[in-house]
Amino acid sequence: MVSTLRNNNIFGVFDDEDLFIAAMKKMEKAGIRIKNVFTPYPIEDVFNILGLKTRMPYTAFIYATIGVMLTYAFLYWTSVIDYPVIIGGKPTNTLAFVVILFVMTINGGIVMSLFTFFIIQKLGPGKPARVVHKDITDDKYVIVIEKTEEMSNEETQRINSALFENGAIEIGEKENVETI
Amino acid sequence: MDKAYTVSPGLRILSICLVVIGIAAFVAGFMFDPQRAWANYLIDSYYFILLSIGASFFLAIQYITQSGWSSMFNRVPEAMGSYITYAGVLMLIFVIFGSHSVYHWTHHDAVEADVLLQHKSPYLNMPFFIVRFVIIFCAWIFFMILLRRLSVKQDIVGGLTYFHKSEFYSKVFIFVLALTFSLGTFDWIMSIDAHWFSTLFVFKNFLSAFLHGSAVVALIIILLHQQGYYPKLNKAHLHDFSKYMFILGIMWAYMWFAQYLLIWYSNMPEETVYYQTRISHEWSVLFYGNVVLNWLFPFLFLMLNKIAKNKYALIFTAAVLMVGMWIDLYVQIMPGSTMSEAAPVGLNSIGFVEIGAFLGFLGIFIFAVSRTLSKVNLIPEKHPYLEESLMHKSH
Repeated sequence: MVSTLRNNNIFGVFDDEDLFIAAMKKMEKAGIRIKNVFTPYPIEDVFNILGLKTRMPYTAFIYATIGVMLTYAFLYWTSVIDYPVIIGGKPTNTLAFVVILFVMTINGGIVMSLFTFFIIQKLGPGKPARVVHKDITDDKYVIVIEKTEEMSNEETQRINSALFENGAIEIGEKENVETI
Repeated sequence: MDKAYTVSPGLRILSICLVVIGIAAFVAGFMFDPQRAWANYLIDSYYFILLSIGASFFLAIQYITQSGWSSMFNRVPEAMGSYITYAGVLMLIFVIFGSHSVYHWTHHDAVEADVLLQHKSPYLNMPFFIVRFVIIFCAWIFFMILLRRLSVKQDIVGGLTYFHKSEFYSKVFIFVLALTFSLGTFDWIMSIDAHWFSTLFVFKNFLSAFLHGSAVVALIIILLHQQGYYPKLNKAHLHDFSKYMFILGIMWAYMWFAQYLLIWYSNMPEETVYYQTRISHEWSVLFYGNVVLNWLFPFLFLMLNKIAKNKYALIFTAAVLMVGMWIDLYVQIMPGSTMSEAAPVGLNSIGFVEIGAFLGFLGIFIFAVSRTLSKVNLIPEKHPYLEESLMHKSH
């Protein structure tokens, strides 16, 4: 590393979802690589336009299966092997497990997915929040483009004008923005 | 765009052939075992009543939530709802001639020997039964025709007047449906086992109607799409239909299991006897197969995103659900109405009468739905949300 730029990311702020989506499409088409986007709520189009891939649905399914198996093992151990109590003549390996299994399937899937997500995104307690723009949790949509060191002034200018032409209401620079 | 649906001669011949098979099956059935034939008659007429009710509930929900995505397809649930008139006539034949063969409580000597049936007789008696039947079907036919008329008028006049009216009467309709459907199901299905009762029974059957009704709505739309109608049908619509099947399948299984678990838990002989007959011997295959077909299969199959948007996968799922629904009703109706006779029935007794009877009713259903579909324009052109439906995309 020879030198680091202080402001190494360009961001554009949009106040309309449709404009934001159209801008993303046009910039991808023009060959400008979008580094990250921030929206107040999930938008599936972002996923399609940026061509993102995720294995989270599959992991969620596996976690749910693990959750149901662990819970069944626990219930089987406690109420069949270790401390069987016969209530009203019902079998100890009982249908009443299903209610707990049902809940723990969901719980296992959610909790383990949550921690996986934390690990992937390197989130954790005590991590400082790097907010690109203060309105991303309010009603604004932000596109972030990385400004590399070898980028010439013309290229930077091109990115700025592309953002401006596509309806960005505010354009600025910001350091330390993570990739998706 | 303004393509009206025309019934192809092949489809008309098919429906007539199916009806002929059905008539043959019933003739054979009445000659050898009238009780079994009447029980089959009840299964199949109730089957298509459920589809009709489910589809019209689907339509009402679309109006009430002001859904845009489905507005292009409104004609299909309307056409399925209009089958209820045919269903009324078919069911009336059963109520008048077939009740005695299926319902234990219609036998005077049985009632006299049975304290519980005597206790229930102020409600469960033939005249009041027929009165309830007439009221229920009048209400249903009235609302189906009303919703259909408002929709057709809107296509001529345009604007929002008839749209708001449709929404208002849909709201009235679902309240009326809640009451009439409960009473109807109590009367026609639950009173077969007159000693037994379950408060979740109606809700489970209603979810069955909604689940299978929406599945058949999707099936008909995809089949029409295959023939060149609804050119604007896209992956987003298909995904929405598969969401209906997926989520309602879970709801259905939830209710099925809730009813089973409560009875299993309390373990009272007068309640468990219902499940005892159904869970033992050859019935057990159908009993568990019911859950596999109606919940487990769609649940695992439609979970995959690519499959949930594939029209062939949806056709297959809807077909499986239709089979599953028939088995569901077979398990509900058959043991109570025919087990008292010498020979117990179950999986091995599904024969020509059962299949032929179903095909016969299917023929009438196809005939009625295709006839109503061909009457007016297939796409409601002046629906206020039509644009949204045509441009629908995933988000």
